Amino acid sequence: MKMKMKMKLKNVFMLYFLVSICGLMYALTQLGQPCDCTLHSRQSSDLVHSRDRTISRLQGELKRLQARGNPEGPPKPALPTIYTVTPTYTRLVQKAELTRLSQTLLHVPSLHWVVVEDSPVKTSLVSELLKRSGLPYTHLCTQTPKDFKLQEGDPNWLKPRGVEQRNLALQWLRENRGPSDEGVVYFADDDNTYSLRLFEEMRFTKRVSVWPVGLVGGVRFERPLVERGKVTGFYTAWKPNRPFPMDMAGFAVSLPLLLANPAARFHLSAQRGNLESSLLQALVSIEELEPRASNCTKVLVWHTRTEKPKMKQEDALILQGLGSDPSVEV
Amino acid sequence: MPRRRSVLTTLLIVLPWTILLTIWHQNPATRYLTILRKETYENSSAKSLQFLINVTKIKEEQHTACTHQQEVTPAQQTARRYVYSRPPGWSRWLPTIYVITPTYTRPVQKAELTRLANTFLHVPNLHWIVVEDLPRRTNLVDSLLERSGLNFTHLNVESPKSVRIGLAKDSSHTPRGTLQRNLGLRWLRENLILSDSLEGVVYFADDDNTYSLELFEEMRSTQKVSVWPVAFVGGLRYEAPKVNTAGKVVGWKTVFDPNRPFAIDMAGFAINVRLVLKRPWANFQLSGVKGGYQETSLLKELVTIAELEPKAANCTKVLVWHTRTEKPTLVNEGRQGFTDLKVEV
Repeated sequence: MKMKMKMKLKNVFMLYFLVSICGLMYALTQLGQPCDCTLHSRQSSDLVHSRDRTISRLQGELKRLQARGNPEGPPKPALPTIYTVTPTYTRLVQKAELTRLSQTLLHVPSLHWVVVEDSPVKTSLVSELLKRSGLPYTHLCTQTPKDFKLQEGDPNWLKPRGVEQRNLALQWLRENRGPSDEGVVYFADDDNTYSLRLFEEMRFTKRVSVWPVGLVGGVRFERPLVERGKVTGFYTAWKPNRPFPMDMAGFAVSLPLLLANPAARFHLSAQRGNLESSLLQALVSIEELEPRASNCTKVLVWHTRTEKPKMKQEDALILQGLGSDPSVEV
Repeated sequence: MPRRRSVLTTLLIVLPWTILLTIWHQNPATRYLTILRKETYENSSAKSLQFLINVTKIKEEQHTACTHQQEVTPAQQTARRYVYSRPPGWSRWLPTIYVITPTYTRPVQKAELTRLANTFLHVPNLHWIVVEDLPRRTNLVDSLLERSGLNFTHLNVESPKSVRIGLAKDSSHTPRGTLQRNLGLRWLRENLILSDSLEGVVYFADDDNTYSLELFEEMRSTQKVSVWPVAFVGGLRYEAPKVNTAGKVVGWKTVFDPNRPFAIDMAGFAINVRLVLKRPWANFQLSGVKGGYQETSLLKELVTIAELEPKAANCTKVLVWHTRTEKPTLVNEGRQGFTDLKVEV
């Protein structure tokens, strides 16, 4: 009897070892094969995918927020702030222009965007755009007096544009910045094109720095003439006898210089092409100008202009009372 | 009693193993192991893609290809002293956006490409394919692309003279940019390997339009072809696809020929790159295309209207504007030229 039991136990143990070895072998082969529960792996890899997407999006947001900088004090290293003054007015392409300008400005460190609307009140289009841009900004508004406003069908050069708006920005700077603030002021219209290098050229301006501007004055580019590191004249085909025959996009003024001359402003009464001179005459002489962009031989900014979009079909629909949904912002 | 004991011991011995075997498949450790294995497979396919991209093509009659990656030589790095922004780091998981931009030489070209590059520098996993309308690639575009810091491919193919000058006397003329866009598609088909793990989107971006950053994130999830509204086209504030309550595209909100199969602008759609590779015959038609039908000539080979994916909040938000830049009046250049031609503008 005992023998039989022993035999049985032996069998049991043998069976156990056999089963366990088979089980282990099976488990090992399972490890070597791709799992046939692809649903689970796909679900988890999808989860990883979407999490990674969220992470990238959040990193982008973080980067944008970091670009805002600390309003209390400058980030390290302390770069002089570039105050970019952009006058703007409501028209069809306004949102597109401000969008692509903000995309350029977002790359520039220590930049403060001062946007001044030609409007009695701040529009929600611009307010929302500025909030979402990720840039440090100031939103102002002032309306151009009726007599000086361009009428429908007027050529764009008939009356000076953006004058009151730029002056308001200068006033804001005088009221909100002090003699200890380092910085430079640049007047950037919303339809021009700016390369990133331009902003670094202007950052360390002592008085007024200048550089060439492309596609302006009826020529490929206008530029200051430079001899031995000093500006001696201007190379331009249109009205070269102006005190400062250059475009608004071709110079930057240091903030301390502006604050030291509280009366300096753009004049509405300035003749065609003399708007820039009306400000610069009060600030600096030609000899004091600082040439940039490799002694004014490189074009880093272009005076591009955007076509007015054709609204033939829209106007026809409006006449029929079937205009496009005004709640869709364009 | 001894029998019962032996049965009990047998049961106790066998039980753990049966439990182990049954829960083996639900064990998270095994799932993790399979994911790792999948990762390494994807890694190897990505590496082979990189290798292919780094291979420079032999010069062919009409076009040459020159591609560059993020990894730069020290010489190139010093040339980028003034670039302050790199594109966001390349993510292994985000589908790549292949942007095809046809361009041609004119005074505003450098300005347009500059501000387009400034926009693209914000978009992660973007590969810019710039195709020049010239028999040879220019230094202007080449150095602009190098200095931008973007992932790019620089191609060129010359359009026949009649197209470039814009002699549209014949109604069946080839619209601008067709040959260039087709070359971009051809480059994708020759340099990417079709596989289930290949993720990417193809977008045709003209160099004078304006793109919001939100647009690129909307198009990234395209499965076949996605669509959205475009501003300032067709003589309207915006043109948009008509989307029903079920979220499907059923028509087109346009005034100009709304009965076209695809009444949409070039900037209003994006295609999944796998679909582009699966249908190598799908291209923009070169001739015999009526005005406004160019997009249709490509899309009808790829997708039906029912398969279109509406983006931008069911096509209610405008995220791209068909802006056009004025041609600068260079009247004062005169016949001999006023400005130094050596200065690049």
